[in-house]
Amino acid sequence: MLIRLWFRKDLAKLFIISIALLTLISIVNSHYYIINTSAQKSNEQINNLSLHNLIKNGSPILGNMSAPITIIDFSDFQCYLCNRYVKNTEPLINQTYVQTGKVALIFKHLPNRGFDSMGAALAAQCMNDQEKFWQFHKLLYSNQKPIDSGWVSKENLKKFALQIPGLDIQQFDSCFDSEKYKSFVQKDIGLALSSGFKETPSFIIENSDGSNPEFLAGALPFPSFQAVIEKKISGS
Amino acid sequence: MREEKKTPILSSSSKRRLFILSFKIVFSTWTYIIFAGATTVTFWIVANIFDQLLFFYPIVIFYLPDDALVGFVLVNITAIILGIVVSMNIYVFRHSKMKINIASFFSGSSLSVISSTCASCSSLGFFLISTLGAAGITASSFVSNYQNPLRLLSIALLIWTYYSISNRITKSCIMNSSNSSK
Repeated sequence: MLIRLWFRKDLAKLFIISIALLTLISIVNSHYYIINTSAQKSNEQINNLSLHNLIKNGSPILGNMSAPITIIDFSDFQCYLCNRYVKNTEPLINQTYVQTGKVALIFKHLPNRGFDSMGAALAAQCMNDQEKFWQFHKLLYSNQKPIDSGWVSKENLKKFALQIPGLDIQQFDSCFDSEKYKSFVQKDIGLALSSGFKETPSFIIENSDGSNPEFLAGALPFPSFQAVIEKKISGS
Repeated sequence: MREEKKTPILSSSSKRRLFILSFKIVFSTWTYIIFAGATTVTFWIVANIFDQLLFFYPIVIFYLPDDALVGFVLVNITAIILGIVVSMNIYVFRHSKMKINIASFFSGSSLSVISSTCASCSSLGFFLISTLGAAGITASSFVSNYQNPLRLLSIALLIWTYYSISNRITKSCIMNSSNSSK
């Protein structure tokens, strides 16, 4: 009886409080996640993430090597939100900041969306040996299909490779079949996890020496990137 | 033996009128309009955060790329029906003389909330992966690949919930009127 009365009388209050809490948790959680991941970063990691080190380690780069700001993009070729970023945001970043020499874009692998994601990451990294990474990157995202539907199976990745003009296919096959970059991709995954990233796409926007990093998670629109980049440009 | 032909108590047009009547009964009070509005807005915010259309950091921004258009329309429909259904459920609990059935609350509105939210949870794939491993990858890719069909399913579930709640509200009216006519 008491429970019934309580249920009737306080249901409205309980309902409003639940809704308010749910909204608050969603907003605070997204902020806390960003702040928390920023705080986790050690000095050693900052040095590792300098543009010089990233290029030396073999990460694919787009743009000027002396650009003052670096965007590190952690993505998976099977992730549809990464595709959204590649189609809507990346062209604007490229046009506004990369082509003007203000920003260098670095790609890091975070293949966690499906079982076929690792294969796509290995193939793409092999493409970087022949400086064809960004062509392959564009080709894969423009042909993206549902996760693990077989569109990035070993056979299909080799078919995609055949579409890249000027590629030494034997060199690519040898690299891909031997899984040459497996430990490289696993290091990328380790870096993403140590930075607090679990979802794709995720980004680190930092000065080229690896200092002053800003962590962003999600397929953010161009104005969000613009706000961070402009703040960094005006601060440096 | 001759079988007695059962005649329906209400025709389909009367039923339709009763569904509209149940809606009018509930939303004649401001409190329930506010409940519905609050539920709709809350669900809309949460679903769009999960869908990565609404961001609060580094700036507050909402954007709608082409690939998200269908999903966004379905989320809006879900949010509106959910607001109505939750509000009507609360009305039933506060006004019904029937024994309060807590189980029906959890199988009605709550199930709808969970299913609707889950339809937009493909961006929570990382959570499933880290919690469930390989099974999580399968679950995550299933939710991502069938995002819009799942949303349609949740809308169907909500419509069914609306139908059952409307029945509860209007059935009590019919019983009252038949009692009073005797």
